Amino acid sequence: MRDAVLSPGKRIRPLVALAAGELVRAKPAGPLAVAIAVEYVHAASLVLDDLPSMDNAVRRRGRTAIHLAYGVATAELASVTLLARAFEVLAREAGIAPDLRARICRELAAAVGASGCCGGQAADLAADPAALALDDLESIHARKTGALFVAAVRGGALAGKANEAALEALTLYARNLGLAFQITDDVLDLEGDPDRLGKDTQRDAHRANFAAVLGIDSSRALVTELVETATAALTPFRGRAAVLADLAGYVRDRRS
Amino acid sequence: MTSPSPRPTLSEARTKLRELGYLQSRVERFVFRRALEGIAVLFLPVVATGAVALSMAETAAVAASQFRYGGSPGAAALLFLHLFFAALFPSVVFAAALFFAAGRSENPGSGAAVSGLLAVAGPLFLWIFGTLRLGSEGAAAPLLWGIPVSLASLLFGATVRAAFLGRAFAESGRLPSRPRRAVLLFAAAVAVCVGAVLFAMRREPARPTPPLPARRAEAVVVVGIDGLALDSPCARDEPIAGRLSGGAKGWWETHPASPAEIWTDLATGVPAARHGVRALEWVRPVGLPPLAPPPGASWYLRGAGLALGTVSRAPVSARERRSLAFWEVAASAGLPALAVGWWASGPWPGAAIVENREILARSASGVDVDFAVIREFERRYEGQSVAALYLPGADILRGDPSRRGETLARLALFLDRWIPRARSGEVALVVLAADSHPDAGSHGRIVVFDAATASPRIRSIRPVDVAPSILARAGIPVARDLPGRPVAALFRPGRVDSTTVATYGERVAPTPAARPGTDREYLEKLKSLGYLN
Repeated sequence: MRDAVLSPGKRIRPLVALAAGELVRAKPAGPLAVAIAVEYVHAASLVLDDLPSMDNAVRRRGRTAIHLAYGVATAELASVTLLARAFEVLAREAGIAPDLRARICRELAAAVGASGCCGGQAADLAADPAALALDDLESIHARKTGALFVAAVRGGALAGKANEAALEALTLYARNLGLAFQITDDVLDLEGDPDRLGKDTQRDAHRANFAAVLGIDSSRALVTELVETATAALTPFRGRAAVLADLAGYVRDRRS
Repeated sequence: MTSPSPRPTLSEARTKLRELGYLQSRVERFVFRRALEGIAVLFLPVVATGAVALSMAETAAVAASQFRYGGSPGAAALLFLHLFFAALFPSVVFAAALFFAAGRSENPGSGAAVSGLLAVAGPLFLWIFGTLRLGSEGAAAPLLWGIPVSLASLLFGATVRAAFLGRAFAESGRLPSRPRRAVLLFAAAVAVCVGAVLFAMRREPARPTPPLPARRAEAVVVVGIDGLALDSPCARDEPIAGRLSGGAKGWWETHPASPAEIWTDLATGVPAARHGVRALEWVRPVGLPPLAPPPGASWYLRGAGLALGTVSRAPVSARERRSLAFWEVAASAGLPALAVGWWASGPWPGAAIVENREILARSASGVDVDFAVIREFERRYEGQSVAALYLPGADILRGDPSRRGETLARLALFLDRWIPRARSGEVALVVLAADSHPDAGSHGRIVVFDAATASPRIRSIRPVDVAPSILARAGIPVARDLPGRPVAALFRPGRVDSTTVATYGERVAPTPAARPGTDREYLEKLKSLGYLN
C-alpha cells in the first residue's frame, strides 16, 4: 500500500482538488482530505490496472509493478484496502459539513463504480480496438480518467461549500482537462520515452487509444483545444483560478 | 473479424467531441460572474437601478404636469433625490421578491424575461399614468421626459434580467437560456409609443391672446355657498331657500371631490386635471415647492416622509393653480375684480383679493368665517365688474344645526340686500350653492337674478359651464379651449357675450406677497374648522 501510494507520480488529481478548494476559499483540511482520498482511489486503480488479468504491466511510476513486487493476491488486497481507506479518510473529516461529506463520498463512489473507473476499464477490456468509434473512445476515457478528475475538482470545491454555479464551471474544466490528460497519455504511450515516463510504452497500442485513432498531430491539436476550453471555463473566477489554469497548461505541455 | 474503422479527421473529431459536451465553454461570463460573486453583488444593483427608474418616472410625472418643477432643473433634481430615497424601499421589496422567485424558478430563462419586462414596464407605466393623472397638457414636455425614463427603465430591466439569471444559476447550477435583450427594447418602445399617443390625444393649449377685449356690462356678483344642498327635502325649510326661489336655476352633479377642487372647477371652468387643485392639502418635500404626489410615491410623501420630517404639509394655494379664475380673467381684460375668501385664491394684478387663509386666520367658527367674508366683501365692493365671495360657514357647521341656522340667517340677510339690486338691473347676481360628500358625490345649484329674467325651468348644466357663463355675462369673450360654454338661458336675453378668444393661457403666479400667518397656522385653522380630518 505504501509503495502504491508513495511511488513518484505527478499527483495531478490531488493537486486539482486542493486548487479547487483554495479557489472557493475553503479551509485547508477539507480539500486535503478530498485530495488524499482521490489519490488513494487513483493508486488503487493503478494497482488493479497493472494486474496480469488487465494490462499485465511490468513497471509503474518507475518502479516494479505492485503485483510483481508483492504478488497478485497482495496487490488485489492492497487495492481494495486503499479504496476503503479513501472513504474512511473522507468520512471522518470533521472539517467538511456532514451533508457535503456525504455528497463528496457519493460522487467519489460514482467515479469508482460502473459509471467511473471500473465501468471504463471493463468497456476498455471488452472493446475491439480496430472497430472503436470516437464516442466509444470518449465513453471509455471519460469513465477511466475523466470521472476521477471531475470528482477531485468537485470534491475540493464542495469542501469549501461552493455553489452550483461554481460547481458547473469547475465540472466543465475537469471534463475537458480529464480528456486532454488522457489523450496526452495516449500520445506519450505511442511516442514517449519509457524511462522518462516510468512505465511501459506501446502498451496501449492494441487498446482504446485516441492517438492511434486520430494520429499524433490531431491528438495534440485536440489536447490544446481541450485545455483552452478548460481554461475558458475558469474565466468567471478570474485571478483566483490561476493554479487550476497553470495545471491545465502543465497537462498540455507534459512530456512524462 | 471486424473491419477497421476509417480514421476520423481532426474536424470530425472536434465535431464529435462538441456533441459529447467537450470543447464548448458554456460559460457566459456575465451570468457566471454574477452568480459567483455573491448575493450582494446581484441585490444592490437591482435596488439601485430600481430606485433610479421609479424616481425618474415619478419626477417626470411631476415635472411634466407641475410647472414649478418642469421649469426648474434644480427643483426637478432635488425632487428626484427625494423620490430616489423613497423608492429604495419598494426596490428592496421588489429585489427580495425577485430573488425568492429566481431561487425557485423551474424555468429561469422565462422568469428572467418576465421579470425584466416587468421592470421595464413598471416605471414606464408610472410615468404615463402619473403624467396623465397629474394633468399636464400637450405632448412635447412629457415625451421629452420619456427619454431619461426609458433609459432608466431599460437599465433596470437589464439589471433585473441578469440578476434573475445569476441567482437562478447560483441555486441550480443549470445554465439557463438567455432571453433576448431586444424584448426589453421592444417593450420600452411600445410604452413610449403608447405614451406618445395618449399625450397627443390631449389638446395642446393655444397661445394666449392678451389683452382680452371686454365689453362694458353690468357688474356680476357671484356668491358661493358651500354645504348647502338646495335640492334636498330639508333645504325647503331653510330660510335661504325662499330667497332663492325666484331666480333662474341650473343644477349639476359631479364626482366626489374636495371643496377646493369643486370650487376651483367652478371658478376656472376647467376640471382638476387642468387646473391642478385637487386637495386642500399638498405636500412639500424639504427645499422644494408644494406638489401633488405622483402615483407610487404617496406612501412616502403622505406618510413616511412626514414622519421622518423630510416632507411637510402645505395648504392649497393659488400658486399651484394652473388656470385662471374668472375674477383673474376679468382683471386681465382690464375690468376691476374682487374675490373674497375663495379656495386657492391669491394675489393677481388688477384684482382685489382677500385670500381664504386671511379670512380663516381671523375666524374662530363657521359663523365667524361667513361674517368675516360678508364684511370684507361689502367693505371692498366698489362696483367691480366681477365680484365673488365664498361662504363656507354652512359646510363648517354641518354638525351644529343651531349655529348653522345662525349663519344661514346671516346669509339670508345678505341676499335680501343684493337680490333687489339684481332685480333693479344694477348687477347680475349669481348664487352658487354646492354640497359635497366623499361617498355621494358633489351636487349643486346655480341661481341667477338678472333684472326681470327668471327661467321657469331648472336646467342641467356642468360645473365647467359656470365660469364661462359668468365671464360672458360680464362682457368678456370666452376662451375656446375651455370645456364649458355659457348658459345664456339663465341670464337676461341678449346680455351674454358670444364672442370668443382662443385661450386665456396658463396661470403664472406673480411673486408671492407676504402671507398672513404660516402654512402651519393655516393648516391648523383648517383642521380646527373641520377640514383635513
